[in-house]
Amino acid sequence: MTVEIRTQSIKPVRQTFAHLARRFGDKPSSRYQEATYNLQSEVNRHYKPLWDPDRDIYDRRRTAVVMADWYALKDPRNHYYATWTAARSKAQEALDTQMQFAEQRGLLRELPEAARDAIVFALVPLRHYEWGANTNGCHISAYAWGTAVSQAASMATMDRLGMAQHLSRIGLLADGNSGESLARAKQAWMAHPAWQGVRREVETMFVTRDWFELLVAQALVADALVYALFYGHFDRAFARQHGPALAALLDFLVKWQDETARWVDACVKTAAAESAENRALITGWVMRWRAAWLTALRPLADATMGADGAAALDAVDAALGQRLAKLGIAG
Amino acid sequence: MSTAKKLSLKENYALLTRGLGWEPSYQPKEEIFRTTRFEGIKIHDWDKWEDPFRLTMDAYWKYQGEKDKKLYAILDAFAQNNGQFNVSDVRYIQALKIFLTGISPLEYASHRGFCILGREFEGVGPRIAAQMQAIDELRHAQTQIHALSPYNRYFEGMSDFTHQADRVWYLSIPKSFFDDALSGGPFEYITAISFAFEYVLTNLVFMPWMSGAAYNGDMSTVSFGFSAQSDEARHMTLGIEVIKFLLEQDPDNVPIVQKWIDKWFWRGYRLLSLLAAMMDYMLPKRVMSWSEAWEVYFEKNGGALFDDLARYGIRMPKYADVTVKEKGHVGHQLWATFYQFRHAVGFPVWLPSEEEMDWLSERYPDTFDKFYRPRLEHWRELEKQGKPFVNTTLPQLCQVCQWPLLFTEPDDPTTICVREESYLGEKFHCCSDGCRDIFRDEPEKYVHAHLPVSQIYQGNYFLPDADPSAPGFNPLVEALRYMGIQPGVDGGDFAGHADAVNWERWTGRPASMHEPMQTAAPAPDRKTA
Amino acid sequence: MSTVAIRADYHGDMKDRVENFHGQQLLGIGWDRHLMYAAPHCIPVPPTLPFGALLSQVLPQLYGGHPDFARIDWAQAQWRKASGERFVPDPAKSVAENGLVHKDVIRFRTPGLDGLYGIGF
Repeated sequence: MTVEIRTQSIKPVRQTFAHLARRFGDKPSSRYQEATYNLQSEVNRHYKPLWDPDRDIYDRRRTAVVMADWYALKDPRNHYYATWTAARSKAQEALDTQMQFAEQRGLLRELPEAARDAIVFALVPLRHYEWGANTNGCHISAYAWGTAVSQAASMATMDRLGMAQHLSRIGLLADGNSGESLARAKQAWMAHPAWQGVRREVETMFVTRDWFELLVAQALVADALVYALFYGHFDRAFARQHGPALAALLDFLVKWQDETARWVDACVKTAAAESAENRALITGWVMRWRAAWLTALRPLADATMGADGAAALDAVDAALGQRLAKLGIAG
Repeated sequence: MSTAKKLSLKENYALLTRGLGWEPSYQPKEEIFRTTRFEGIKIHDWDKWEDPFRLTMDAYWKYQGEKDKKLYAILDAFAQNNGQFNVSDVRYIQALKIFLTGISPLEYASHRGFCILGREFEGVGPRIAAQMQAIDELRHAQTQIHALSPYNRYFEGMSDFTHQADRVWYLSIPKSFFDDALSGGPFEYITAISFAFEYVLTNLVFMPWMSGAAYNGDMSTVSFGFSAQSDEARHMTLGIEVIKFLLEQDPDNVPIVQKWIDKWFWRGYRLLSLLAAMMDYMLPKRVMSWSEAWEVYFEKNGGALFDDLARYGIRMPKYADVTVKEKGHVGHQLWATFYQFRHAVGFPVWLPSEEEMDWLSERYPDTFDKFYRPRLEHWRELEKQGKPFVNTTLPQLCQVCQWPLLFTEPDDPTTICVREESYLGEKFHCCSDGCRDIFRDEPEKYVHAHLPVSQIYQGNYFLPDADPSAPGFNPLVEALRYMGIQPGVDGGDFAGHADAVNWERWTGRPASMHEPMQTAAPAPDRKTA
Repeated sequence: MSTVAIRADYHGDMKDRVENFHGQQLLGIGWDRHLMYAAPHCIPVPPTLPFGALLSQVLPQLYGGHPDFARIDWAQAQWRKASGERFVPDPAKSVAENGLVHKDVIRFRTPGLDGLYGIGF
């Protein structure tokens, strides 16, 4: 038996906004739909950008990918601002518990020097990789066409900052807040031969103008390889030697990547399926960046995982290949 | 067992943030950051940037997540309990239409503008500050739409807000404002929006809307307002930090920044005239007059601010004196404009009641009874005679701010102010010295403006299905359709409007709290539920 | 003053060039001291329109609603351009022949007919 409440109900004149009714019919819309569709201005521009006179402020031509409707790249996670902050703060709460525990018990600080050195060399420099990814995500959010892709990229951009800060915290957990780990990690990023391939590719992405290409290069190819390599293989190798303390702190990154990959995959799959031209374009980008990143990561895989490095890299590359096949990309 | 060193908040933040960036060596820096040199602004050391707020992402997610949980609980309750029927009267809801069509799209535009800065600025600190503001603005755009969504289900003129934002003639005023900022370089953008808009002028936008919502029983909008306050506080600190950073980096920056302050103060002021009409004429329960608001939030607060900036060589913006001369006039002139063009706007327009005119007399002792009461009483008399005044011809627009040329000479409120400029053999007109100076400084930019009146006359304001050969073809009606305004439904007289009729039927209360219940039955072609 | 942009050849498109108006030109008209009309009007006119026809056929549609309009003696009206320059129209000549170019804005004053209530309404 249910308990009834009588309320005064007045029949609404309409169920939703006109632009949503034109797409989906006059029925109640989700908050994601209300927050996303058609927010970006599309026509009747007033001024040419002083910073790019050949294009408009918002311009479809900032990518070679062509979509009849860029809102087809809607976010399968249905993230708008409020659901995004809710998801992130929930994950962060769980992480904070782990971080506090690690700090109080000195779980990283008390590791043997070789273990701490491994963290500082292999993981902490990835805070710069994340800052690079923040830069690239921001480029996508700035120049993509349509609210759907731009806002997801904007949230992903802030996520990268969060990941960068998290990796910095891991360094501070290892060095007892002296900051020494961060300085050494930066030194490795800037000068150690094993890291230069990666830094070179990151800087190449900084001068890549096509925002969809950047999505492919950063969020599909590079992240798939880097995350699986370090937060999968390296983490497991580390745990075999030094115990699980680190794994508990890296889970946050792994879960975040899994969630974000759903959005990336939806964008790439939808765009590739739209036309043969898009598919060819995306495939070309995938092939180029995959080759570049494999070359860049090889010395790093060797330096951080020794004899197991090459096999680890092959394994993550194979996994990427399987993922690409599901997206309809033979890259 | 070792212990970790204790870190202060500032030290902690610096470690987690400041060292993230690096000097590139595989690509030229000028290829990575391509737009920070052309404006002539000189930055010698990006690291001199003082973080205006030190929010790490975990803290951001936590605080914002908590706020959103509370806000959405209120929004859900509002929708469930038909909160839209609890506001003072349905005229208040007309102000919300201006908000949704004119302000919310600007929040989104601002989001995009800060996304651009988040990428194009060079230093880690400024980029993070810009990115956080970008995501805050997205929050504002989305929460505003969600907060106003229940109103759309019952009232006209809100449903097609995205389409209208791009096409309605008076919405080119806010749209061109933000397009102007977005098309500027990064330093102009941040001076325009973070400093001039978010710092100098913000209270004039935020306070009237949110207080107006509180006074008029709009729990949805006022909750959005409370929820956005701490975001706005961050934005203000960014604005003042930016201006000091730019001015301290190089003395050559001072005249450039001054020029932008002059331009953006004036453009922002013209945009805010919309609020003068809202505060003085649209809020059933009024908060304060535009004149009072300008005195407090600009003359006093702004005065103190520019006294403080004098040490950098910055002076009060040009034409600040004009804004003071105009404060007794602008709201009245605007409402008179909306009134006579009411059949071409997206909301109904009305004349104030006796009681409301008495309020206006009291708040505008030097101007209302002399210059404006006679007009309103004249029009009210024409309405009583069944011959309501309308203006059916399109007005001349200002090339820069895109208002009709409705503003009067600063020293003569009986004469319209018109300024003419010539450029490459063509004439351009502005509403004021302020807009004229802006045009003179960058004519190549402003000739590109998409002036709705000109576009209508060029025949561009027709939907694909408009048929000029069809009987009864009316180009101005077709222009309204193109703009997303429902002809004969959205605008027009308040008396007998669908919103007024429906309101009285649904709530049993008068459509205007200052008038008796309307007794007119709905006309057959009105939309009612 | 030249606009500071990333390229020296920055320029916008002049969206309101006369070619875009299908043989017509834009004319702005304001009746000074008659603020019942919030702003000067903007109308498209054929350049060949006789100025007299503007006065007798077009202006009544624009201003006929004002009590002063019917009493105007056009011989007494004072005209100037937006630039302030005095303008003396010849009703027999066309708009173009009167020297009015595309987007000209003209203002007229009707001495003795200064609007209602002594405030130029």
